[in-house]
Order: sequence, then structure tokens, then C-alpha cells
Amino acid sequence: MKIFVHYRFTLLVIAVVLLLPLMVSSGTLATEVLIFALAALGCNLLLGYTGLMSFGQGIFLGVGSYATGLVLLHWQVSLLPSLLIAMLVGAFVALLVGWFSIRQRGTYFVMLTLAFAQMFYFLAYTLKDVTGGDNGLLNIPRPNLALFGKVLLPTTSAWQYYSFVAIVFVLVFWLLQRIVDSVLGRTLLAISDNETRAAAVGYNITLLKLAAFVISGAVTGLAGGLHAMMTGLAPLSNIEYHTSESILIMTVIGGTGNLFASVLGAAFYVLIGNWLSSLWPRWLMLLGLLLIAVSLYMHKGLYGVAQSLVACLKSGRRSKEADPEPMNNPEIKETHS
Amino acid sequence: MNIYILQIANGIGIGMLYFLLAVGLSIVFGLLRFVNFSHGAFYLIGAYFSFQLGEMGLNFWWSLLVAPLIVGVFAWLVEKFVLRHIYALPHHFHILFTVGLALVLQEAVISYWGPLGNNISPPDILQGVVMLGSFIFPKYRLFVIAVTAVMALVLWWVLEGTRLGAIVRAGSESTEMVSLLGLNIDRIFSLVFALGALTAGLAGALAAPIRGVDPFMGVEALGIAFVVVVIGGLGSFFGALAGGLLVGIVQSLMSTIWSEGAHLMIYVAMAAVMLLRPNGLFGRSS
Repeated sequence: MKIFVHYRFTLLVIAVVLLLPLMVSSGTLATEVLIFALAALGCNLLLGYTGLMSFGQGIFLGVGSYATGLVLLHWQVSLLPSLLIAMLVGAFVALLVGWFSIRQRGTYFVMLTLAFAQMFYFLAYTLKDVTGGDNGLLNIPRPNLALFGKVLLPTTSAWQYYSFVAIVFVLVFWLLQRIVDSVLGRTLLAISDNETRAAAVGYNITLLKLAAFVISGAVTGLAGGLHAMMTGLAPLSNIEYHTSESILIMTVIGGTGNLFASVLGAAFYVLIGNWLSSLWPRWLMLLGLLLIAVSLYMHKGLYGVAQSLVACLKSGRRSKEADPEPMNNPEIKETHS
Repeated sequence: MNIYILQIANGIGIGMLYFLLAVGLSIVFGLLRFVNFSHGAFYLIGAYFSFQLGEMGLNFWWSLLVAPLIVGVFAWLVEKFVLRHIYALPHHFHILFTVGLALVLQEAVISYWGPLGNNISPPDILQGVVMLGSFIFPKYRLFVIAVTAVMALVLWWVLEGTRLGAIVRAGSESTEMVSLLGLNIDRIFSLVFALGALTAGLAGALAAPIRGVDPFMGVEALGIAFVVVVIGGLGSFFGALAGGLLVGIVQSLMSTIWSEGAHLMIYVAMAAVMLLRPNGLFGRSS
């Protein structure tokens, strides 16, 4: 039983990945959920664990999709190396942006990341020869997953690609969960709780924050690479302010401080957004109202709501059952004072 | 050579507009310790209200006056009924709230006026150009420089010369102390927030005849306002002025040298200032 408790979030994510195809009829839509969940995980590592609210996540998604697009278009590399390049480019750009931004705290940091998001947008817009400017990169191929010339997993159909993305997603989630459970993760939490105290204990705050930034950039860059292959495009809109904002909104609506919450947030945003936008093109207004509600009344997002529901159910049946299911066991550390 | 002098003059025009756009953000932060992510949306609705009032037949001068006032009253109501309840929360909830508000306003603008842009023409008297020695300068831009300069003087006088300004400056040092002195700090918060929104609305209304109105001008303005205060130093009046002028002149000069990179260079200038003075030109170390 202990192993279930220990890996409960990874198991939950596997369950989500297996259930998505049953709930969503379009493979592309299901893949999009996982890709944005990856981006939200990267954002949550910063906001939930390190206390850094970054409006620059679209930069990493954007450069990731450009990097993958460029190497696939020009060098015909295979699937995994092109994603690795997206990750590396994401990490490198995050190192640059982080190096500048991390010296500042609080709101100043937030403003800087937004200014950098605008900077990279205009950079991508200006470098038309590389990025295709307004049109973005078109006709990006999607290679099969192959090793030594042997196709392990074809990615031609939307659902085939979904299964590839699902494997990548579960792996990354498991890795990130290990990171946040590790000493590094605990130290990041200490920084987000009280930076001055963490510094006084002797931690190198700048270095640790930068590490979180780079990991976040790598994960988000990977999401960008997967997105470019999914759509066959690396559009300018991937690097826009709006993308950064969406990633942040998914993270916050899901709830910060728990990685699984980001999966909920991304699924909510992508699926509800897809459904609502077909009903009413101005659905973003509802999203704005939801954000206002989150900031006023539900500070822990959907995950917090789910947690209190579970707690309610449990207290209701406590008399009958002594041993609740491990997955419903909300042993979540409080991350916000 | 002349073209560069002309571009600098042009840049001063744009820069003063950027100053007006950013100064409200900066003052609101100084007093309330609150970064307003809906500042760009206030600029947006300022521009659209003046457009709408013009469409309804109101004369330009009146719409220039009324549109920012509507924005100010709207912001005053938002502060009074919602914002003040979230001051105590961590800053990222402030940001979330104002991001949400900005989204709602932007979508409201699109659903009422449509996603496409519109043009506004300046009144007849401000159309055409004036000759300044051997330079040709658009009349309307000269008018914008004049209005923003007057606004800068008025704001400076309000902040430095009046009792309200003294309270605002004291409040940015310590709000507790100000309320201990028996002043109603809540009312001052509302007033300053409304004033900040009003200046953003005015910047929008003034910018509309130059660049037209479109629903996404708010996001662009927010980015620029942030760059201006990052360059100038958050909470500083003169920082906003210096930052605004610097950004305006860089953008204007670059548009002759390398027009595609004009916007990019604004952000490069920001990064350069960040390297030399991390707290901005007029910023105090935090």
C-alpha cells in the first residue's frame, strides 16, 4: 500500500492520461491538454514552489517550438533529438531571462518577465528570416519515434502522437515530482516561504532560483517542441504575451503548490476553452471573471476545491470506514502562508 | 542629419505619451504597493470611449475630457468595492485580479466594437503640419506634447505642492503612520487609483488619433508602461518622465535606422539600463 501513497500523484497522472481518450473525442485536443499541462507544470515549479510569478513562460514555449521547427525543417533530425534541442534552447533562454529577472523580487520581477516576453515577441517578429515573422514556420514534419532506423512508435495519426506525448508527459511529471520531493524542492519551498531566512541559513538563493527557472524553461521548451510537431506549425502567437498569460492562468486556476493541480488547470482551460469558444467567441471574458473569483475566493484553485470536497466526503463517512483510499488522501503540504 | 533631429522631436512626442501612460502605474505602486495589470486596459477603454463619444457627435475636446473621467470613475468604483478587500493578500492575487479585470475589459471592448481597429481623425484645427524653422511637424503631435507637458506639470504640482501630494508621498513611506495621523487613507487610496486610471485613459484618448483604436492596444501599452517604469524606477515621478522620454526617443530614432527593430530596441534599452542600474534610473534600492 505504501507504494501507492508514495507514487499517488504519478498514478493519478497515469489515470488521467488513460482516461483522456475516453473523455475527449479528438486526439489533437487530448494532446493539447497534455502539452499545456507540461507548460503549466513548468510554471507551477516557479510559482508554487519558488514563489516566482513568471509572465515569461510563453517565451520558452515559443523558442521551444521554433527550435524544433527549425531543426526538423532544415536538418531532418529525428524525433527525440529535436525535442532535446527544444529543451536545451528553452533552458538556455530561461537562463538568460532568469539571470536578469531573478535579481529583482516581487512585483518588479513580474514586470520584468512580462517585459522580456514582449522583447522576445518582437525579436521573433523582427527575425523574419529565421522565424518566418508573422507567418511563423510552416509545414513542420512529424517524424516517427525510431531507434537505429527501426520504428518503435509511429506518430502519423493524432492518437498515435497522443500516446507518444502521453509517455513523455508521464516521464516528465514523475521526474518533476521527484525534484519537488527532493532536497532541492524543499529548499525552493523554503525560499518561497521566507527568502531572507533561507539566505540566512546559508542557501545560495540566486543560484537555486536560477536552477528552478532553468528547469522550468526546459520543461516549457519541451512543451513548445511537442506543440510544433502536433500542429506542424511554429506560429508567432506561441511566443505572444497571450500564451504566457494562458499558461499562468492554467497554473493558477488549477492551484499552486501541487504539481497534479497544474494538470487539472490545463485540462480545465483547454477543454472548457475549446467547448466554450465554440459556443461564444468571447469566452475569455468568463475566464477573466473566473480569475477574479480565484483571486477573491478560491486561492488554492480547482485543486483546493477538490481537496475540500474530498475532506467533506471523508468526514461524512468517517464513521463507516476507517481506511480511505490512498489516492484521496490529501497529505498536501501547505505552501502559502 | 535633420531627419534625426526631427525623429528626436517625434520621439519626445511619443515619449511624453508614454510618460502619461506609465506615471499612473508608478504612482499607484508607490502608494498602494500594488502593480495594476489592468492599467493597459484603462488605456484601452480610454481610447475607445473617446472614439465612441466622437461617433456620437461629441466634439473632440469634450470627448478628450469626458472619456478619461469615465475611466477614472470606473476605476474608483472598482477600487472602492473590490480592490480594497484584496490589499492584504500576497501580491500575486493582486496581479491575478487585475489580469482578470483586463481580460474582461478587453473582451467587452471586442464584443461591443468588434475585433477590428478603427481610425479617429483629429479635429480640423489640429490637422496638417506646422513649420518649425526648416522642420515639418504634425500639428496633432505638437498638441499631444503640449497636453502631456501640462499634465506632467499639474501632476508634479499635485504631488509636490499640495496637501494631497504630501499625504500621498507620506503614504508611500508608511500608510500606518498616515492613518495614525487621522487621515482617511482608504479615501486617498481610491483617489490615487482613480487618478492613475484617469491618466491612463487620457493617454489612450490622446493616442487614438495617432495610432487608431484596436482591442489589443491595451496589452502593448501595458508592456511599454512596464518598460518605462522598469527603466525609470518603480514609484518615481521623474523616473516615469525620464523612462518615457528615453523609450520614445529610442523607438523614434530606431524607426528611421531600422524600422522593423524599433520595438525590439525599446526592450534592448531596458535590458541595458537593468544591467547598469538594476533599480532603474530613479529607483531606490528595495
